[in-house]
Amino acid sequence: MKPLDFITGEIVGILLFFIGLYGLMTKKTIVKTIMSMSIMESGIFLFYITINYTVGSVPPIGQAQEAAFVDPVPSALMITAIVIGIGVTAIGLTMFMHYKQKHGITHWSRNRDQTGSDH
Amino acid sequence: MLALILMGVIALLLRNRLAKLLLYVFQVLYAGFAFYVFFQVKETGPIIWNTGGYTDGLALSLYADSIAIFMVLMTAVFYIAFLVYATREDYFEPRFQFLFMTLQGVMMGLFLSSDLFNIFVFLEVSTVVVAILIMFNKEKQAIYDGMIYFFVNVIGTAFLLFGIGMLYRTFGLLDIRAIKEAMSLLESPHAVVLPYGMMMVTVSLKTAVTPLFSWLPKAHGTPSAPPVVSAVLSGLYIKSGVYMFIRFNDMFSPVIDMHVFFFWIGFFTSLIGFIMALGQKDIKLILAYHTVSQIGLIMMGINMASEIAFWGAVYHIFNHAIFKSTLFLTAGMIYEEYGTRNVYQIRGLFKRMPWVAVATTFAILGITGAPFFNGSISKYMIAHGTYDYGVTILLNIINLGTTMSFVKYATMLFGNNPKEGRAKSDFFALSACVVMGIASFFTGIFGEGLTQFFFNYEVHVNVDEYIQKGMVYVLMIVAGVAFYHGIIKHGGLITRIGHAELTFNGIITAMAGYFIVVVVYLSLML
Repeated sequence: MKPLDFITGEIVGILLFFIGLYGLMTKKTIVKTIMSMSIMESGIFLFYITINYTVGSVPPIGQAQEAAFVDPVPSALMITAIVIGIGVTAIGLTMFMHYKQKHGITHWSRNRDQTGSDH
Repeated sequence: MLALILMGVIALLLRNRLAKLLLYVFQVLYAGFAFYVFFQVKETGPIIWNTGGYTDGLALSLYADSIAIFMVLMTAVFYIAFLVYATREDYFEPRFQFLFMTLQGVMMGLFLSSDLFNIFVFLEVSTVVVAILIMFNKEKQAIYDGMIYFFVNVIGTAFLLFGIGMLYRTFGLLDIRAIKEAMSLLESPHAVVLPYGMMMVTVSLKTAVTPLFSWLPKAHGTPSAPPVVSAVLSGLYIKSGVYMFIRFNDMFSPVIDMHVFFFWIGFFTSLIGFIMALGQKDIKLILAYHTVSQIGLIMMGINMASEIAFWGAVYHIFNHAIFKSTLFLTAGMIYEEYGTRNVYQIRGLFKRMPWVAVATTFAILGITGAPFFNGSISKYMIAHGTYDYGVTILLNIINLGTTMSFVKYATMLFGNNPKEGRAKSDFFALSACVVMGIASFFTGIFGEGLTQFFFNYEVHVNVDEYIQKGMVYVLMIVAGVAFYHGIIKHGGLITRIGHAELTFNGIITAMAGYFIVVVVYLSLML
């Protein structure tokens, strides 16, 4: 077994997921939060599309029977998930831009604004 | 389900009075249809719809068993009341109607879907919709709270997606029922520990249990969100988390049994929920923290491993939806009238807004579990799930806490009216509140019949024991009043506890920690 065999899609996917999680846990900037979220999602996508993949298999298109077919379900799921991911990132960025332009805040603040509750 | 979203689009396009009327007619018809399906399920057992003519288990399918259809029915009926309440409010414009109806459609999807990936999609969509509804007024605090809600929940659902991926890797299946069958064929249960942990993080986040509830008061109690949104979130939407908890645990039940762990999680959630609620002075935040506390109670009931407690918890889901919606709706009317949300400044509700006060009283009696009200029946059922003395004491502690902080809430009802005369309230909003309030009384009186009707589960309330509980309740009220005058009024420590909360990074760290705890606990147990 070559040392590089450890670096499969699944393991890299899991690593990316936890790198993203680390970013979310430690960074206070909202933009960095959004970036970490994207990293986390990319990790999941990579994990999915390499599930049960064997070298040399072919896409399930046409009638060719020489090699094993790749399971098409994860790829189909990931197309949906990627679209959702883009939408979510876009909405997150929109919220952030709106918030920054109106109130000039770019960080998660320490505490809830208590003045808001009395009005 | 799709029809609801379509209806929202139609309301968005028409933009006039006709659309509104159509909306009501449609909602009533929809509730009627839900009743029809409900009776069908009751007679013939679970119904399954498969798409595309594939065999069951492989196809994307909708699945309606007695709990699922009960949740659907509850949502459809309560939405009628919410729509009536919102009729004359300024924010009830086409854009709002569209999002509001979409949320209903997505909730139905969550309840009925039997496919894990579809559940993920519905969760993402509902997160977006709810976040936008929270910041509908575009106030600073609302946007901040909405953003926290949005990011935390998106990250939470990412956990779910990852968990689904791992399950798919093991089983090659996505259907909940099919996976449950395949689960018993597993050689070693260790293969599902990680996915279980991942999925439980998401579900626990959605149900807002102990370390992960910090987003809930922000989202449900944010000052400027429309009251009807808070009512939906707290009354109905949060229940989708509990429902998923039931579903997922049922799916993993052949291999994994975690009810002891989640029983204690439920207890601590309840405890922390009411302690935090005691420290609040904003009426909406008090109610939001009480949602946390009641969810904890429901979790305790579900995880008692006894049938009567389980159905009691499901019945409590229904009851909590009634009285918490009523409380949020009336709270909306109260702070509009008084112009403040501070519980210490609102006085003389009975003189100023008598009908609102009546509805609030009914709901308070319901939530504290007064005899003859609905809360008492479901709490009675939950308490019956155990013969262990210790657990009974735990339940009583929670009840005492609830009573204590609602004594504080009830001080609003009495006292002197700051202004002379009665306030004019909107007729539609008022009638919705009063009907819901009275419902909490009737669902209590007919509790036995209703559980029989909804779940085919017979309960017999023992009269002697019930009277005994009634006495305990009176004692609790007395203790509650005493506590209120002795401790809570003077604030101090409790107020400081009430204001402690996690930052965004804290919430995420709690999530990661929770994941590790679940996984380690499971590995040790198996």
